[in-house]
Amino acid sequence: MISARWRRVLIPVLLSLVLLVSACSQSEPSRFSQTQEETSKRNAPAAVAKGAEQGSTFNKFFPDSASGYEVVPAQEKNGFAEYKLNKGGKNVAVLSINDTVGNPSAATKFQNSTAKIGGYPTVEQGTTGTAVLVNNRYQVKVLSRDPSFTKEERASWIQKFNLRGLAKLPAATSSLPKAQSPKTAPALPGRLQPALNPT
Amino acid sequence: MSSKSIYDYVDHLPKGGLTVNALKSLDWVVPGQWQNVVGFENTIRAVTGETDEALIQQIGDRAVTLFNDKKEGYQRALWLYQTVDSASGALGAAALANKVGQDISFLGILKNLTPKPEKAQSIDLCVKLVVEIVAFCQINGIPGDSIGDFLASLKDYGGESLMRMAALVCFDGLIPLGPDFATKGLASIKSMTSSDLEHNQTFKGVRELIPGGNSAGQLGFITESFESTKGWMDNFVSSKGLTPDRVVDNLSKFVDISKDKLDYLGAFLDMYVKYYEHTGIQTLAHRLIERSVAEI
Repeated sequence: MISARWRRVLIPVLLSLVLLVSACSQSEPSRFSQTQEETSKRNAPAAVAKGAEQGSTFNKFFPDSASGYEVVPAQEKNGFAEYKLNKGGKNVAVLSINDTVGNPSAATKFQNSTAKIGGYPTVEQGTTGTAVLVNNRYQVKVLSRDPSFTKEERASWIQKFNLRGLAKLPAATSSLPKAQSPKTAPALPGRLQPALNPT
Repeated sequence: MSSKSIYDYVDHLPKGGLTVNALKSLDWVVPGQWQNVVGFENTIRAVTGETDEALIQQIGDRAVTLFNDKKEGYQRALWLYQTVDSASGALGAAALANKVGQDISFLGILKNLTPKPEKAQSIDLCVKLVVEIVAFCQINGIPGDSIGDFLASLKDYGGESLMRMAALVCFDGLIPLGPDFATKGLASIKSMTSSDLEHNQTFKGVRELIPGGNSAGQLGFITESFESTKGWMDNFVSSKGLTPDRVVDNLSKFVDISKDKLDYLGAFLDMYVKYYEHTGIQTLAHRLIERSVAEI
């Protein structure tokens, strides 16, 4: 039999043990939790600035399929377009253009760059990426998806883009270009229009 | 729609269990296409091949930001993948509510299973296919400048997306409807009225995001989508030599099932194998990370 006095002591001890154990078992917050908090709150800024070019604007500046390489459309989003580069049915690299308006760190990384590709400042990112910045605003990037696709090949594919054509799009200015109507959902072709747009 | 973060979803994907085992049993159909990559950081490393911590942080932060912006369509795609799975199995699961928490085995719950009528099964198949197309557009936009470009990007399906289509063909086509499921499904959907569609549980779950305006228009859209992908499905079945027997044989190596109760097997898979949600989250994370590493 446990005496009443012991019980009085035991209960708080057990309680604090339970609290301690449950506190320890809670997983550490994710390294992305700060961003989650900032971008999920009400009135969080849009992920892509209103004035960003539509991804469809970029399609015509991508290289064509050539010499065993197939260029396949992959994504066309607000301010972003991406094509896969396949060889023998295998994905070896990814080609992309994005508008850095509203995503300034993407552009500022070029500030200290002295190297150039096709006359535009270039940077290497990680071990798989090569990028140039056109008009201080449009980032053209080639990312290797297979070790056989080298840094030199990335540089060579960047030059296959129509970079001069891309440079004719509006340059970066201190103020944002005139806002376009925001794209709420990707438009579907023809009869593929969604019934509703619940958000 | 969603207040959970993308890393929460990806970090909580199961490493094992019925869904994962059922998908593993399809490796022979699409060899090497699907590895069950779970965990957000793992996915970043697997997709990009990068190991630099600062870069992984930047990629993850951008992905979290893009996912949280509802206008970007990712949350709608996630909702579609989740809803089409839970709606199709909802009726059966309700009947088995008292089994929650117990080990689920096919034979153990056989007496509680009711095979779905062929018509309902056909609608499920068609609706799931349409959900794939709509979710694809929410995630990727309409890539390229023409319908041809769009079709080329659909044809380039690989990895977890191709696995999802293999599971659709096998688990929602071959097993419940037999080898001529595509022809059967199309005939069934063509003879259907919009009221048949309105009463289908799977359709009800996702109808608000199906193009077409009203249920008659939606039926038209579903029929059209099914018609245009039927060739792909028929070719998939014949080129891989898929038969219900072979699918069930392989499934039985991974999941404890009985081969002589095909009707019931369809109902069982419907309820417990959430392959759309599982591979859908993987697809979503993959494409989101692909975009993020390109944009930073």
